[in-house]
Amino acid sequence: MVSMKRLAAVAAVSMLGLSACAGTDSGSPAVPGEAKGGDLIASAPVAAAADILPGSTMEKIKQRGELIVGGSLDAPLLSQQNPTTGEVEGFDADMGKALAKYIIGEPKVKIVNSASETREALLGNGTVDVVLQTYTITPERAEQVSFAGPYYSSGLSLAVRKGTTGITKPEDLNGKTVIAGANTPAIPAIKKLAPQAKIVTFGSDPECMQALKQERGDAYVQDETLLVANAQKDSSVQVVGSPFTTDPYGIGLKHGDDQFKKFVNDWLKKIQADGLWQKTWKQSLGTVVQGEAPTPPQIGSVPGS
Amino acid sequence: MSNLLFDQPGPRARRRIRIATAVGAVAVLALLALAVRQFAAGGQLDADRWSPYATWPMWRYLLNGLWATALAAVVSAALAMAAGLALALGRLSRRGWVRVPAAAYVEVVRTIPALLLVYVVLFALPRYGLDLPLFWKLVVPLAISNAAAFAEIFRAGVLSVERGQGEAGLAVGLTQGQTMRLIVLPQAARRVLPSIVSQSVGLLKDTSLGFVVSYAELLYSGKVLATYNGLLIQTYIVVALIYLVVNASLSKLARTLDSRGTPGARRLRRRPARA
Amino acid sequence: MSALLDHLPEFWQGLVVTLQLTVASFAGAAVVGLVITAMRVSPVGVLRGIGTAYVETFQNLPLLVLLVLAVFGLPEIGLKADLLVTAMIVIALYEAAYIAEALRSGVNAVSAGQGEAARALGLTFGQSLRHVVLPQALRTVIQPVGNIFIALTMNTSLAAAVGVVDLTAAANRVNLMEAQPIPIFVGAGLAYALIAACAGFVTGRLERRLVVVR
Repeated sequence: MVSMKRLAAVAAVSMLGLSACAGTDSGSPAVPGEAKGGDLIASAPVAAAADILPGSTMEKIKQRGELIVGGSLDAPLLSQQNPTTGEVEGFDADMGKALAKYIIGEPKVKIVNSASETREALLGNGTVDVVLQTYTITPERAEQVSFAGPYYSSGLSLAVRKGTTGITKPEDLNGKTVIAGANTPAIPAIKKLAPQAKIVTFGSDPECMQALKQERGDAYVQDETLLVANAQKDSSVQVVGSPFTTDPYGIGLKHGDDQFKKFVNDWLKKIQADGLWQKTWKQSLGTVVQGEAPTPPQIGSVPGS
Repeated sequence: MSNLLFDQPGPRARRRIRIATAVGAVAVLALLALAVRQFAAGGQLDADRWSPYATWPMWRYLLNGLWATALAAVVSAALAMAAGLALALGRLSRRGWVRVPAAAYVEVVRTIPALLLVYVVLFALPRYGLDLPLFWKLVVPLAISNAAAFAEIFRAGVLSVERGQGEAGLAVGLTQGQTMRLIVLPQAARRVLPSIVSQSVGLLKDTSLGFVVSYAELLYSGKVLATYNGLLIQTYIVVALIYLVVNASLSKLARTLDSRGTPGARRLRRRPARA
Repeated sequence: MSALLDHLPEFWQGLVVTLQLTVASFAGAAVVGLVITAMRVSPVGVLRGIGTAYVETFQNLPLLVLLVLAVFGLPEIGLKADLLVTAMIVIALYEAAYIAEALRSGVNAVSAGQGEAARALGLTFGQSLRHVVLPQALRTVIQPVGNIFIALTMNTSLAAAVGVVDLTAAANRVNLMEAQPIPIFVGAGLAYALIAACAGFVTGRLERRLVVVR
């Protein structure tokens, strides 16, 4: 009987997945995600009418009544669709909703799910208004798109199977087989820091985790937040060392749209100052990382932004 | 059953058949049992790893994906078959100005991966001012690429009809077009039906390229689910079963319709369909 | 264009892997496909059933699903092989269903009199299949099998999704570094087209030489 109960509990947790983690944190596992996201957005600011300049991208979005965001549906903690509600949850997703509310007055967002290699094209041809998808600001990319932000700074870290010895820093990966997500910044980072590492890529985070557990590689390189979340769910895996890169994430905008860039940057400064940024972090990434929200990055502080 | 390769078996042959039957059945059952046992030993059959798929929201999510898959497949198939038939007839035409472009299209397009065509529609066309809606970004490349495949199937069917049939048609005074329409095509259509069905099922599977163009079809929905609940193997097994059930029913439906639709051909079709 | 030329070694390695995948998978698929065809026309009911079930299963599942299940599922039941080998086996088994289907339609196209004549001469089931029916069936299916080879070449690109660094994966990685999708993917596409064009040329030659005129 007891085991049946435990079984049911485990089933419920695995069914609710990440939002269940979020739920237990805020003490209301019954309705994960929804209510919290609502509270957060309710307190989000709306732009003054004077800021929506005539003929600007902002005005176009406001008239359409919907912000079109290039993003993901399968990035846990950042932009993950909840199959139960259909809502997209996470830090990037909430930022998109808050930006939509700032422009339109309502958090109306349509996420165009974009593979990372299509992002420049989607922005260039106007399919999406903004890209919010762990989009690291680099000077090379800044030649094709404009970046507002950085709005978040992250870093890559290492995960290994428990009991693995001899891997504590990226340089230890030389001569080893390393697992990384396809189309993630982990690939160039590994090539730079451990040129002799053999890289194996898989399409999604659970695939990479499964591959690590099945010994298809010695280590898994991924964004630290994701790895921490994984290690919490699966005790056979541990995170080693501290992040070894700094990836400033920016909001991708159409190249040369300086008016919109200034508008989004002003918004970012506003939500950093009034605490909305910190609250958003707490409800998404903060559910797996201990401690207070980090200091948000300085707007325009990295090359390319 | 097929009587091409064997007659009514005699007593010795019957004994051998019985032995082969027993050996085959035991081998298959043993293999299945072994697989199940090993999966259970790995903990993959635990109830809590499967119970999410006893809940409606998961299925609703996957069925939405299946609907998107079906829609894309039906529209692509209709376009590709129409274009394919035109191309096949064009390629068999006596007029060079029809035959050469049709042949060129088929030969070029069928050597280009569908994924590449998807990329062209996704990246290159918008630069020339042609920015299709999401759905068409998947359907157009699939239709373009499958049109070539359907054209080859139709052409092979026409060529498989004995020459004498066409010659006889011409001999009784029918025109080229009439011969093709009344004599060759009906026979060809019957012969290529299995290929048409498998190509259509293949097209349905091709719609999984939808995840490149961010079209939320079944496979992509499965991927989103797997990242959400972390049940990779279970999710993909469920997705695989959905594909299997849908595609197998389609094949079965096509066979049933086929054997009913052409009464005269009933006897003739029996054998190829179930040999 | 420079994005292509700067990364020629990566592209070359990817191309080699793609060729390995294509050749090994096709060889495997041809053998398995022949066996399945023989089972499907055999007098033993269970073998026919197994053959039909095999073809139905593999033709009705997307290759990508099979690849993911094999790569992540098989280690759970204690079968772990190198990624490239796993991909080769899965693609071979998958395409074998198509080859079996093509061969079966070829066998059906052989007129019943051929089989009867073979038996009248006293040939066994295996002998009449090997010496009489299959040689005729194979000729009628050169074109379809050539098409399967081309489809197989295109399908090897899906191996990239399970960690095999083939041509598509190489192109993807270079694009991640250079962010210039058009020259990179068009270049990769041309390489595929070239492989397929060679296959098309060979089947064209074979067909002209061997086809049975009726």
